Amino acid sequence: MNLSIKQLFGRKPKSSNIAKQRLKLVITQDRVDVDDRFMTRLHHELAEVLAKYFEFSASSVKMNLKQEGNSYILVADFPYTKFHDMSMRR
Amino acid sequence: MGKVIVVTSGKGGVGKTTSTANLGTALALLGKSVVLVDADVGLRNLDIVMGLESRVVYTSMDVIEKQCELNKALVRDRRVDGLMLLAASQKNNKDDMQPEQMKAICDKLRTTYDFTLVDSPAGIERGFRNASAGADEAIVVTTPDVSAIRDADRIIGLLQNVEIEPINLVINRFSPQLVGNGSMMDQADVLDILNIDLIGVVPEDSGVITSTNRGIPLVYEDGSPGAQAYMRIARRLTGQRIPIPDLEQKGLFSNILNWFTKNR
Repeated sequence: MNLSIKQLFGRKPKSSNIAKQRLKLVITQDRVDVDDRFMTRLHHELAEVLAKYFEFSASSVKMNLKQEGNSYILVADFPYTKFHDMSMRR
Repeated sequence: MGKVIVVTSGKGGVGKTTSTANLGTALALLGKSVVLVDADVGLRNLDIVMGLESRVVYTSMDVIEKQCELNKALVRDRRVDGLMLLAASQKNNKDDMQPEQMKAICDKLRTTYDFTLVDSPAGIERGFRNASAGADEAIVVTTPDVSAIRDADRIIGLLQNVEIEPINLVINRFSPQLVGNGSMMDQADVLDILNIDLIGVVPEDSGVITSTNRGIPLVYEDGSPGAQAYMRIARRLTGQRIPIPDLEQKGLFSNILNWFTKNR
């Protein structure tokens, strides 16, 4: 935290600054909170596509949303045991 | 073709109805044809804030149930040319109306009126969905406090999901004194959090209470700071470019401190 002249003067931190910091935190959280049903659906659809190419156990899959700056990142871990190309199976 | 603008906020009590009444009256004073639609079925208030409560005969529900024609349900405000009100039913509830029905009403009004302002109920449920169903644009009203801003952010997300564009922000009940002594977030703080376009800042004005008591929108009182702010917003809605004045009047001490902070 940067120490400003205002704080050197021994004043309490401004409540407006506190409000802004708290809001920023909580709103980031609100925005990332995609509802569970959506995540479950996305999970199923991604797994369906990936199952064409990889073998993996459904229980090992992890999906999360993260925020970096102004954008959100979907991080999906699909640890696979075997690679197979369906198109080669004719 | 006119514009349909939903006035909404998420949180209750931040000034949606007051803003709808004043912006609608201000637009009519600027020569536009305007219809105000109360979408708060079951808890209607736009009629009483406008001072038109004794003249409401039909409501949007009567139009939907085909009890009367849309034109016949509109109450004409006799104080200014081109201003109409479509009241909400008080004996029904929000689930009695479908979003498509509200959209049909808005689509009809759009063909006749320059501006259709829809006063949304608080909340993110059915009432909000009804109110925004027919809207092209949105005005989100907030006050500079944590709960109103958090709820505004939620509403903005929902409006963006249904591709309502632009979404303009009104910061209401702004107190330059409180901002000056660091007890209230300023407009830059609010915009930094919400990240949408600001269309106006309305200062705290006790005239709002007396004008609501009388049922005469504040914009009729030329001298009041609130009236001037609403008139400026109305002009911006008509496409005029009017800068947003900085309502902060920080004390001298605070300015000197800011100077030191900036120059360290």
